Formats: sequence, C-alpha cells, structure tokens
Amino acid sequence: MKNMIKGAIAGAAMLAASMAQADDDVTLQLKWVTQAQFAGYYVALDKGFYKEEGLNVTIKPGGPDIAPAQVIAGGGADVVLDWMPSALASREKGLDLVNIAQPFKSSGMMLTCRKDAGITTSADFADKTLGVWFFGNEYPFLSWMSKLGLKTDGSAGGVTVLKQGFNVDPILQKQAACVSTMTYNEYWQIIDAGLTPEELVVFKYEDEGVSTLEDGMYVLGDNLKDAAFKDKMVRFVRASMKGWKYAEMHTDEAADIVLENDASGAQTEKHQRRMMSEVAKLTSGSNGALDVADYERTVQSLLQAGSDPVITKAPEGAWTSEITDAALN
Amino acid sequence: MNWLIYALIFWLASWALNVRIANSAPSRFKSILVPMLFGFSLLGLWEGLVSGFNISPILLPPPSMIAARFASSLPILWEDFVQTFVKGALSGYFIGCSAAFLTAIAIDRSDFLKRGLLPIGNFVAALPIIGMAPVLVMWFGFDWQSKAAVVVIMVFFPMLVNTVAGLSAKNEIQNDLMKTYGAGYWQSLLKLGLPAAMPFIFNGLKICTTLALIGAIVAEFFGSPIRGMGFRISTEVGRLSLDMVWAEITVAALAGSAFYGTMALIEKAVTFWHPSQRS
Repeated sequence: MKNMIKGAIAGAAMLAASMAQADDDVTLQLKWVTQAQFAGYYVALDKGFYKEEGLNVTIKPGGPDIAPAQVIAGGGADVVLDWMPSALASREKGLDLVNIAQPFKSSGMMLTCRKDAGITTSADFADKTLGVWFFGNEYPFLSWMSKLGLKTDGSAGGVTVLKQGFNVDPILQKQAACVSTMTYNEYWQIIDAGLTPEELVVFKYEDEGVSTLEDGMYVLGDNLKDAAFKDKMVRFVRASMKGWKYAEMHTDEAADIVLENDASGAQTEKHQRRMMSEVAKLTSGSNGALDVADYERTVQSLLQAGSDPVITKAPEGAWTSEITDAALN
Repeated sequence: MNWLIYALIFWLASWALNVRIANSAPSRFKSILVPMLFGFSLLGLWEGLVSGFNISPILLPPPSMIAARFASSLPILWEDFVQTFVKGALSGYFIGCSAAFLTAIAIDRSDFLKRGLLPIGNFVAALPIIGMAPVLVMWFGFDWQSKAAVVVIMVFFPMLVNTVAGLSAKNEIQNDLMKTYGAGYWQSLLKLGLPAAMPFIFNGLKICTTLALIGAIVAEFFGSPIRGMGFRISTEVGRLSLDMVWAEITVAALAGSAFYGTMALIEKAVTFWHPSQRS
C-alpha cells in the first residue's frame, strides 16, 4: 500500500513536471551547414529566447546534398530557410511554400572575378568561363545573364558555365574567370588563399539590380490554416528576430555561440567572427517583415529570365504578413 | 481509393498469369515474357500506389510522369549520356582496364613486382572516391577528363586482381607440356596463359562495367560542365524535378545493363570452350 502511494505520488510529480515543460516543438531546417549565416537562430536558442516563448526548437544543419524544400515536403521540418528563387520554383512544382518572415534584407551574393582574366565590367563576360552553384542556387545567376543578353549554353558570344563545387578552387587555379561568392563566406576564402582585393573585381547582385531575397523562413501553406501552428510560428518568428537583433549588436559573441553549436567542429573563430559582421550588414535593414517591393523585384527578375524563365507566372499566396504582423507588434 | 484497388487487381492478375506461363512448357519467348511481365506488374503497382496514396511527385513521381518526361527530354538525355557514359565512363574503363591488364602481365612475369605492385594496387582501391574526386577535378579540370580519371582509379584494382588470379590459373602439367614443346615465355603466355585466364579476365571486365558508370556519375557531383548525368541528377534534385532525376536513373540503368550484357556476349564468344559456357 505504502509503495503504491509512493508510486502514485512519483507518477503525479512526473506528470506535473512534464506538463510544466510542455513546450511546443519546432524543427528548423537550415539551408547550409552551421555557420554565422544562421547566427540569429543559434543565439535565440542559446540565450533562451525560444524557451521564453514556450518553444522547444531543434535546429537541423543542412549541407551540399540537402534541399530544404524536399525536407519540408517529406515532413522533416516545420520551418525551412530557403532562397526565394528556389522557393518560388518549388511552388511552381506544386509544393505550397509560404514565406512568413524575411530576416535578410539584402542579398550577399556576388560574382568575384580575376582582373588578370581581362574582366573589368559585366560587358567583359562574353566568351569567359564563370563558376556557378547549382542545386537551386543557380536561378539568380541565370536571370542576371538573361538580363545581360548572354547565353549560358557555351555558344560563341555567350558564357561557359561551370558547376562549381563548394569551394573557390576554380578561380585560384584560373579554370574560371569568375566564381560565385557570398560577401560573408567564399569571398574571404579567396582572400585567405592569397589573392588580394586589388587583384579582384566584384559584382554584387545587389548593385547590378538583380538581387533576389535570400534566407527567408518558409512553411507549408496547409499548416498555416491551423491556428495552433500559426501561434507557434508567431512565437518562433518573434524569438528568432530577437536573436537576430542580439546577434547584430554582439557579433563576436554571436559567432562564438555558433562555434559552440557547430557539431562538425569545422569552423574557425576568425572566419565566423568575420562572417558574422558581414551577415549583420545584410540583416540590419530588416525587422523580420517581408518588404513587398523586394518581393516584387525578385518575382520580376525571375519572370524575365529570357527564354528559360525560372517561374512562368507571378505566384499567388507565396507570402503572408499575418505572422510577422502578430509577432512584431 | 479506386487506384489502390486497380493496382492490387493488376498485381494479382499479372502474378496469376505469370504463374500459368511459368508452369507451362518452356520456350525461348516465354523465358523473356515472364520477367517482362513481372517488371510491368511492379510498375503498375508503383503507379497505383503513388496515385492511390496521393504521394507528392516531389517525393516519388509515378512511372507515367517519368516516361512522359523521358520522352520529352530525349535531346538532353542523349547529351548527358554522351558526356558521362561515352566520354567519361567508357574512356576511363578502357584506360583503367588496359593499364590493369598490362600491370597484371608484368606482375605475373616477376615475383619482385608481385610483392611490390599488388599492395600498391590494393592501396589505390582503398582510396575513398568522394575524397579522390575533388582532387582529380583540381588536377584534370572540370570536363570529362577528370571523370575518366576517377573511373580509372575505380576499375584498376578489381581488374588487376582478377587478371593476376587468371594468369596463375594454369597448372604445372600444362606448363611442363609447353616446356617440352620448347615454347618461349610469350608463346606460352599467348597459347596457354591468356586463354586459361580469360574466364577471370571477363569476370573483372564485367564487374568494372558497373563500377565505371557509378564512378563517372558520382565524380560529376564535385564540379562539372553543365551537362552530364551526375550534374543533371544533382541539379534537378535541387529543383525538385524528381521526374527528370528518375529519367536519368532510367538511362543509367539501361546503359549499365547494356554495357554489362555486351561484355557477357563477348565473353560467351571468347570462352566458348569453358565448362560454364557449355550448356
């Protein structure tokens, strides 16, 4: 009898404990490996911002063979980070991805070229070899080239495109005149490899007027019909943006938090701190809400991609301000 | 729901038909029909289950969608096939297998090389392909040459081991006979050593057909021009065009089977005397 009472008490205590901890689970799929590009989410996790909102967040790192859209389609995540061109292309394929928040205001994508390959302006691209990332990251490049009127099939007068691996070797070895870089990552790999900024010409997609929105938060449209899910997302976006703003203010601390969370141990402090200060420049213009003008520009640039447009018609319902309106009040 | 029932009925019907055919008097036509029918029933089941359970084509497209995509993208598939199979896999296969064959003869000739070269061959075979591919891309450039180099590394060792084993397949009595004829080394190699080794050599050649194709496709994941089966597969997965991915997989399966079949046919013609070929 005594044991039974003890057991009942213990059971009740466990039940109470589990009820107190009944945080809502949210799984976030990153677009790439753990690095300062995602600092806001790691800061929110580490500083307990998610906890304060009653969320139990799991962050899944991505990698070269992980397409966030496929992960969310297979039910592997509640929220994914993706670039808008690839998200809109997935939408046309029938996957109902909806942008709920856009922490990155500016694009960090660039084409970095060697001066000694004879490139000073974008008019010099013709008949050169350019390195591009594929796997859904090629859309901004394709729409830029089509705006410049350059063919990408390797024919004379056009450009030859290389599928560049996830490093900058082609430009170091002069196999390509230009390679794709991000302001916060690959550009610095080129500098670290020994080329000086004076030897390079940089074309920022932002400056060329062909920038597209990067690193937005996307969820499945079906889930948004569920009030409980919506409420979870409101809290998630609020805490994530708190994390981002904290990371912008304390870049070194944010970079260190990212390093602590890097299970692969592949990142270095110098690289992450530098990356964090570059990423802060891209996120500082956003409070999390999607700027409709930026969205329209992205869509226009994708629609105009010449004979082979990334999307064939202007998408409808590809974003909602519902979540950010509720989260940021 | 209807789709599920159709799929099940189709599956059971073709199974029953297959059992009937298999139990009737055997003929050449029937021996082809049975596996074909089995394959079709699997495709029918796939189609029915995907439609019945409403599975998103992003996860698994139905065979009809893959077939439509295959038919509408023939020029692209052909371009990829030439780039990956003809340029990458075939040239690598020829270079790798010939190099291994010549090395095996050298090894057979000298015990010194046998003790030195075999461990090195073993070492090369143990190199992980995903570690070697990026390095070879750096050395040989982005085009098919680097893919052929990966294939050479992949096929070299299996071919070498098989040929070495084949060259030692002749026995002492046969060797003695050649000696009593007064045959020199090359005569003895041509008339006795190589014919005796043929079943082993073809074993190696057949194993290497599939390895060559796998090597050429995987090597394209690490940097490539914008054509090729591996490039297309990795790019289209990112674009969620899984129907195109499956179309490429179909091409790879057909090419791999045809390549293997060709080797098996040549083997049949060359080693007609071997007990395994006489039926």
